[in-house]
Amino acid sequence: MTLPKDKVDVVIVGSGSAGSHFAARLSKAGRRVVALEAGPDIRTEQMVSSMLWARRLKWKGAPVLETGPQPIGYVFNAGWGVGGASIHHYAVWPRMHENDFRVRSLYGRGLDWPIGYSDLQPYYDRVQKECGLSGDSKAEVWRPAGEPYPMGPVASANQGRVVRKGFESLGMKVAPLPMAIATKTYKGRPSCIWDGWCDAGCPTGALANALSVHWPEALAAGATLHPNHQVVRVLTESKGTRASGVEVVTPDGTRTLVMADVVVLAANTVQNARILLASASPEHPHGVGNASGTLGQFVTTHLAAPIFGLHPDKTNPWFGAFGGQFLNQEHYDEKENFSEQGAFGSYQWMIAQAMKPNGLLGMAPSRPDLRGSALKRFMERSTEHMITMTGVVEDLPLAQNRVTLNGKKDDWGVPLATVEHASSPESLALWQAAVDEGLKVFRATGADEVWNAPRAPMHIMGGTIMGTGPNNSVADAYGAVHEVPNLILGGAGLFPTSGGVNPTFTIQALVSMACDRMTGEAPPPSA
Amino acid sequence: MLYASGIGLLSFALGDGHVLLSPRAARAAGVKPRVLSAREEETLAALGERLVPGSRESGVSLYVDQQLAVSLEDCMLMIQYLGVDPPFTPFYRTGLSAINAWAESRHGEKFSELSDTQAESLIDDLSNEKLEGWEGPPQGLFYFVVRNDACDVQYGTQEGFARLNVPYAAHIVPPSEWG
Ligand SMILES: Cc1cc2nc3c(=O)[nH]c(=O)nc-3n(C[C@H](O)[C@H](O)[C@H](O)COP(=O)(O)OP(=O)(O)OC[C@H]3O[C@@H](n4cnc5c(N)ncnc54)[C@H](O)[C@@H]3O)c2cc1C
Ligand code: SF4
Repeated sequence: MTLPKDKVDVVIVGSGSAGSHFAARLSKAGRRVVALEAGPDIRTEQMVSSMLWARRLKWKGAPVLETGPQPIGYVFNAGWGVGGASIHHYAVWPRMHENDFRVRSLYGRGLDWPIGYSDLQPYYDRVQKECGLSGDSKAEVWRPAGEPYPMGPVASANQGRVVRKGFESLGMKVAPLPMAIATKTYKGRPSCIWDGWCDAGCPTGALANALSVHWPEALAAGATLHPNHQVVRVLTESKGTRASGVEVVTPDGTRTLVMADVVVLAANTVQNARILLASASPEHPHGVGNASGTLGQFVTTHLAAPIFGLHPDKTNPWFGAFGGQFLNQEHYDEKENFSEQGAFGSYQWMIAQAMKPNGLLGMAPSRPDLRGSALKRFMERSTEHMITMTGVVEDLPLAQNRVTLNGKKDDWGVPLATVEHASSPESLALWQAAVDEGLKVFRATGADEVWNAPRAPMHIMGGTIMGTGPNNSVADAYGAVHEVPNLILGGAGLFPTSGGVNPTFTIQALVSMACDRMTGEAPPPSA
Repeated sequence: MLYASGIGLLSFALGDGHVLLSPRAARAAGVKPRVLSAREEETLAALGERLVPGSRESGVSLYVDQQLAVSLEDCMLMIQYLGVDPPFTPFYRTGLSAINAWAESRHGEKFSELSDTQAESLIDDLSNEKLEGWEGPPQGLFYFVVRNDACDVQYGTQEGFARLNVPYAAHIVPPSEWG
């Protein structure tokens, strides 16, 4: 398919979670939409059930240099090709909580969002119907206000039941994990069969992502999608106050322009910042959207706290969804709960994830110290008796954690990104508090061995944060770049704070809110 | 030139042509490595076997060798998300050469010819980053990467799952025994 020669209504950069949703909503509203994706076309047939094949879906574009003591794990945490990281994400979709939006005002640290939970709530409610979420809102006693889930919860099985006992014996609750996974036939998508291959991509469509939900809608409504087209720069008109289109490299290496009334950047957290920095011009000498100097700043990544155990009961840990079976957000709203330990922030537990024998999150790497016959014995026991859960720990936003351009360039002359990241002492202390709690819960299950893995980065947020104005942020709550309002950003780069929940439900809610403004539609009725 | 075929079996050079084989079958058929030298391949197989018993037979060295020859887009090695920039061959090559150099300086033998005690003590030091003057990639990372490659071929295949009595239950069955 050739690129349009004339001006279109909307050009979208990136075809993942955010980009596909923009494409669906805007094309259904009658806009002429063209989407440009740097990576290849990905079809469900390529989602081979294998932890080795799964690695073909990871980031394969220009290298990102990572510095600082807690690197962001870019390649693991980013996707490449049509659908982006959404096609190998695990679909754990909790909402952010009210205090996540007001961290600065409530606690005097971090940042505030320019909107509150109540602004986003109707969009969470709308998105959960559109994408199909499963869960039990009543059992989630900590859940902020919102409509019940449209589907009943994910299956609980041996592993989940064993870990639940640990929580309950300490007087703590668990609830079914809220997931963008169908537990019954939903809008033509089949129910999950709990085989745990989500990391390799769910080819059945049970898991909501760009390929199963938004691209079919967008393409049916006339949007065009161009894989293998890398955008190198955003163009602005002579005064620099309006975006006029993008410069793109086509599969044969030709550079061309796609002109549009509206430009949407949804190329992931790091690449959005990189493209804006690399689009510097006389009107925007430090990068587009960088009047405040915050472009690139406040990158956050959740600190994952993986806990493992071996339990005498048969747990069959390979069964279920990769994201898990249960959720605990016991202390979520008490960001100062562990202040005596120097900790600050929120965390949640994703409980009883399905595990495969191999792969970075698999059984074998959980005990890297074992080898030879000891490893063999461990593997034979683990496959029947392992239990696991992962803490998702908030990372305080710091200005020095940032995306910058470095002296190296990619094949098209675009400077490469460096991402520096060092978690604050408060976030590191919170991670430790979470680990201590996790180990205690696992001991309380009656497990005979309990251990934790080192800290790992999980999800990438910030870098193009939203705020109240061009003096403190890159964009407004609708993703519109303050200085260039027809340039719209999508994705977790907009998050001023990370919270302690997985980001994609919030990404989707923000896209939905932005689309309402772009199309002039009224907000959903519950607003 | 080696390449991964559309259906996923690996293409190995055998005689004058290329055949599609799994690494285990390639090993049985006497396929020679194309990126690594024979000595590097032997060292990798010996190290893999010490870390994950059975992985030599499952073809860990030919799997890594074949993967080093494909494009990044087709690459399945775990190293790609462990903070090492492609190409990955220098990582493996310098690590394998360094472990051999240590084996020779300590015991006057190639790594693959060390006794159990000699090899185990060298691996202990490698995994604990105690080999002073080591001239390869970070020791702990090298250990972790090779161990994971060996786990991939030994436990991450349909055969490996069966070995552990784990139902494979694929949506889309990997087209090769190791996939
Ligand atoms: C293993 C894993 C598990 C996860 N599990 C969860 C989970 O359970 N719950 C949750 O909430 N989140 C999860 N996530 C995070 C989730 O995948 C992301 O939040 C989400 O995909 C981000 O959406 P996005 O549109 O910003 O980026 P993506 O979905 O990654 O899409 C960005 C797209 O832009 C393309 N692109 C990049 N540069 C350019 C360019 N210059 N020109 C054109 N195109 C470009 C990329 O190739 C990519 O396709 C997980 C992520 C990973 C990696
Ligand atoms: S476990 Fe469910 S969501 Fe995951 S890949 Fe299988 S069917 Fe899809």
